[in-house]
Order: sequence, then structure tokens, then C-alpha cells
Amino acid sequence: MKKDINSNGYIFLYATVLVVVVAALLTGAVLWFHPYQERNEKNEKRIHILRAAGIPDVNKDNAAKLFEQHCTASFLLDENGNATEDGTLPLFVIDRRISVIPMQGSGLWGPISGYLAIDGDGSTIVGANFDHKSETPGLGGEITTEKFQSQFSGKQIMKNGQLVPIEFDAITGATKTSNGVKEMIDKTLESYARFFEKLKP
Amino acid sequence: MSQFKKLLIEPLRKANPITVLVLGICSCLAVTAQLKPALVMGASVTVVTALSNLIISLLRKGIPARIRIIVQLVVVATLVILVDQFLKAFVYDVSKQLSVFVGLIITNCIVMGRLEAFAMSHKPWESFLDGLGNGLGYSLILVIVAFSRELFGSGTLFGYQVVPQSFYEAGYQNNGLMILPPMALVVVGVIIWINNSKTESK
Repeated sequence: MKKDINSNGYIFLYATVLVVVVAALLTGAVLWFHPYQERNEKNEKRIHILRAAGIPDVNKDNAAKLFEQHCTASFLLDENGNATEDGTLPLFVIDRRISVIPMQGSGLWGPISGYLAIDGDGSTIVGANFDHKSETPGLGGEITTEKFQSQFSGKQIMKNGQLVPIEFDAITGATKTSNGVKEMIDKTLESYARFFEKLKP
Repeated sequence: MSQFKKLLIEPLRKANPITVLVLGICSCLAVTAQLKPALVMGASVTVVTALSNLIISLLRKGIPARIRIIVQLVVVATLVILVDQFLKAFVYDVSKQLSVFVGLIITNCIVMGRLEAFAMSHKPWESFLDGLGNGLGYSLILVIVAFSRELFGSGTLFGYQVVPQSFYEAGYQNNGLMILPPMALVVVGVIIWINNSKTESK
């Protein structure tokens, strides 16, 4: 018995079976890959925090161990700079001195993010680390390079109790991404400003 | 030359998907500013074209003609999602570099083009080789373009500096135009030109 493969019944049946099979396959794959992906993301976060704080030689194999060693505390702040349970601003303390804060902003094509490490006196940047979802490789994507990130070390963020707008060398050909980085840093520092004022000796 | 070998070799130059068929230009412009993403993109496209060609060829007798494009699209999309998830799980740093471009393999004309033109009418093994060959032909051009763009645009290869520091001190400058997409088009154009002038004279 040969079925007509161009009949409507067959087409509907074929499409239904195909979609169900594909859906089952993808669900299975996502469930199976998920634990690995989650571990990667967590590991990546630790690498970025450690790198921003200037810990040398961090790679994906030793990140978990180094994080355990160096991260002495982590808590949430409210907008007045006090540590509370229901705060919205996370903060990681590295080696009891450096505060690392996460940043979120937008670049040209999509979200950009990063970590900023501030020294114990609350006024100087120790290091910065940036990441992006979909900036152009070679242009906006350059924000993840050592060359771009290293220029932030040692910059002043507070002078006489006032926030100083950040200044840095932008990337040629990636104006929107560079502006995004500046906006992200300024916005983040503004929300943490109360906390850094308290750190002042 | 055996028939199978021909399927694999021909798309490298004589029937190259980029320079002769002029397909897949879009992603060629986007991922070739540096060598490493270009290489991984080439590998991903090769895997997707080879496997989707194989699967469609296996299914070809049962696919109703009226929904064949949709069926092809579903197969390609599934494979691309699997590749993307796989990269995210096991080579996280590379998958981050490629970001959106892996998802965009779905829209790569080479994949759909080979499915329609070859896999729908040929046996599985031949289709698999054809997909593999076309993927490799695509990768080849990608690597050539990325090589020249990274070398002249950033003075590096695979992120390592190859243009000596003394050149810069003597006044040499990286060509900023090379890292912008328009220059990829020019480089591809030059490759097509060389390719055509060599093949037509024969």
C-alpha cells in the first residue's frame, strides 16, 4: 500500500510528528546540557570578580579554589549603603579590602556587563572587567581585552566626597559601545556612592 | 578522481560557496575581524551543513513537496540550537566569542542552498560529503579573509602580536579600515577576482 505523500492528511501528520520529535529532542538536550552551562556561568562570574580585583593568573580551572581563598565576604546593600537582607546591590569583598561590584548596561547590539573593583578607601579603582553578549568582534568586542581594561586601574572615582565622572580612552569605531561603558560605570557608581562615602577614612 | 573525492574537493575552489556561488557573504563580513571566531564559525557551519544534508537526504523520500522548505528549516534550526547549546556547555569561552553568529547559521544561505540543490535529490553519503565540502569551502574563505583582516587591521594573529614593535616605532600604523565590515567585502572581492581570472583561462 503506497500512501500519497502530497495528500493533506499526510502533510498534517508529517508536520505534527516532526514537531513533536524535534521538541522532545531539544527539551532533552537542554535539560542534559543545563548543569554544565550553569557551572560555566558561575565559574565565569568568579573569574571576572577575581580578575577585576587584580588577582593574577586566574583561569577556569583554578577559579573556584582562588575564589574560596580570596573572597572574604559577600552581601547585599540598600541604597543608603547599609548591608541588609533585602538589599538590591550585591557586593563582594576580596582579601578583606577590595570591594567588587557588578555593573550592567547596554552596548550597541545588546547588553554589556562588568565588574569594578574599588580599593579599601572607597576612592580608587583597582581594576575593571567587562563582558558583552553581542558586540562586534574587533570593535565593541575589544572592551574585553586586557589593553582596554587595564587603563581603569588607579583612576579616582571620589574627590572630596563627590563622585568624579569617569574618563577613559574610547575605542575607535565603537563609539556606541564606549559610551555604553561610560554610562554603565557612572550609573553603577552613583548607586553605590553612599557606601563608598562610608569607607572613607 | 573518484566521485566522492570530487564532491569534497570541488566546493573548495571550483564551486566555492562564497567566491563562485556568492552565498553566505553576510556572516563572512561579520565574523572575520579576527581569526579565532572565524575558525570556530567555519567549523560550526561545516558541522551543520554536513549533518543537515545527511538528515534531509535520509528523509527526502518521505518529505511532502509542499512543506519541504519548512521541514528543512526545522531540521537546520534544531541542529543549530544543539550546536549552540553544546558550545555553551563545553567550550564556553568560544561560544561567548561567537555569540549571536551561531544562531545566525540558520539564515546562512549555504545551508539551505545545499539542502534544496543537492540533499533533496542525492543519497545520504554523497549528501554528507557535499555538505562537508561546502562547509570547508566556506571555512577556507573565512580563514583567508580573517587572516588578512587581523594581520593588517590589528597587527595580530590569533590574538598574538606578529607585527614587531619596531615597525610601530618607525611609523607603521594598523589599518583601521580593515576591522570595519566594508573591508571584508573588498577582500572577498579580491579573492573572487583572483579565483575567476585563474579558472576562466583554463
